[in-house]
Amino acid sequence: MKAYRFLMVVAVLTLFVGIGWVSSGLNANEDPIEPLVIGAKAPMVDLKVRSVSGDEFSLQQIAESNGLLVMFSCNTCPYVKAWEDRYPEIYNLSIKNDIGMIALNPNEAYRNKGDGFSDMKKRAGEKKYKFPYALDRHHKLADAFGATRTPEVFLFNKNMKLVYHGAIDDNYESAENVQKPYLKNAIKNLAAGKKIDPSSTKSLGCSIKRGE
Amino acid sequence: MIYLYNILLVLVLLVPGRQVAECSPGTQSTDTSNVPEVVDVDYEELQSVIESYRGKKAVLLNVWATWCGPCVEELPYLRKLQEEYPDKLQVVLLSADLRSDRSRVAPFLKERGVDWKTYYKAGDNQRFLNQLSKQWSGALPFTKIIDRKGKVVGQWQGSASFDKFEKHVNKALEE
Repeated sequence: MKAYRFLMVVAVLTLFVGIGWVSSGLNANEDPIEPLVIGAKAPMVDLKVRSVSGDEFSLQQIAESNGLLVMFSCNTCPYVKAWEDRYPEIYNLSIKNDIGMIALNPNEAYRNKGDGFSDMKKRAGEKKYKFPYALDRHHKLADAFGATRTPEVFLFNKNMKLVYHGAIDDNYESAENVQKPYLKNAIKNLAAGKKIDPSSTKSLGCSIKRGE
Repeated sequence: MIYLYNILLVLVLLVPGRQVAECSPGTQSTDTSNVPEVVDVDYEELQSVIESYRGKKAVLLNVWATWCGPCVEELPYLRKLQEEYPDKLQVVLLSADLRSDRSRVAPFLKERGVDWKTYYKAGDNQRFLNQLSKQWSGALPFTKIIDRKGKVVGQWQGSASFDKFEKHVNKALEE
């Protein structure tokens, strides 16, 4: 009798596990990457990343007295190319407001397709990047941040808590026709101690090439 | 000298015809047979397109771009599904190419055997991103599969295997 009950329990458990496995494969939302939520602490702030200058920095070292701007970027994405000419202005605004800035390239699967370290050095030179442009080796930081695309920005306050996440602005095609400069507003409001609204936006971007 | 000329002549003749065609300005624009129609749509117009299949076909919406490697890898899968289920499924391709690349979309699709009507994202970007799906951050590619009753049976950003597409299409066709 005990053996019969045991077999019944095993059979029922197997059925539940089986149903769970099948249904999990058909969930309507299949995106497993969850980004940091507003208010979350910056993760892995002591991890050293190598910049195109040859120096190694941690996020904590890049942060200034009012906070830190982390931008996931790359060499190969047309959306990055469309927004990239606005990077210097964003950097100048960040520094003026005592916010450190770093760009990270997480495209591990494209290191031989234009996103390698030498490609990054070349790009930083051509575009005269004044901020560190660093390798996010094996997309460790992108994974920790829950980043999905390039470009994608994360702005942290002086306590390294996330206050803005998402788009640079609302118009990648034309800097002149931007109506909502989300990131610039967030930087100014952060420095002024004002509320950041919206604190989260979406933007078209190239999926991060994590590879297998 | 004649010997050199002959070698050059042979080399020129050996270049495959397709490569020559790709390098010749205007070749693609003159051959318009089976070039898919690409229609500009804002968010509301895209919704109308999807709604028009309610009760008739399941819809597989795929947001892609010509320069997006993972998106281009998926095109053969999407074409195969469209050919396998012509009466039950409609693959709706929505290009998110930059406006400067808009004219590349139709010939690009033709080269890959897509011969049905496709779409180009126009109108307000933020509205598109915010309304199309809560789960979509804006990363390409993005896929959403809707059954004949209008229920979303699957959606994801990033690339997928043929098996994953087929599994969700079959789920949509069950309804």
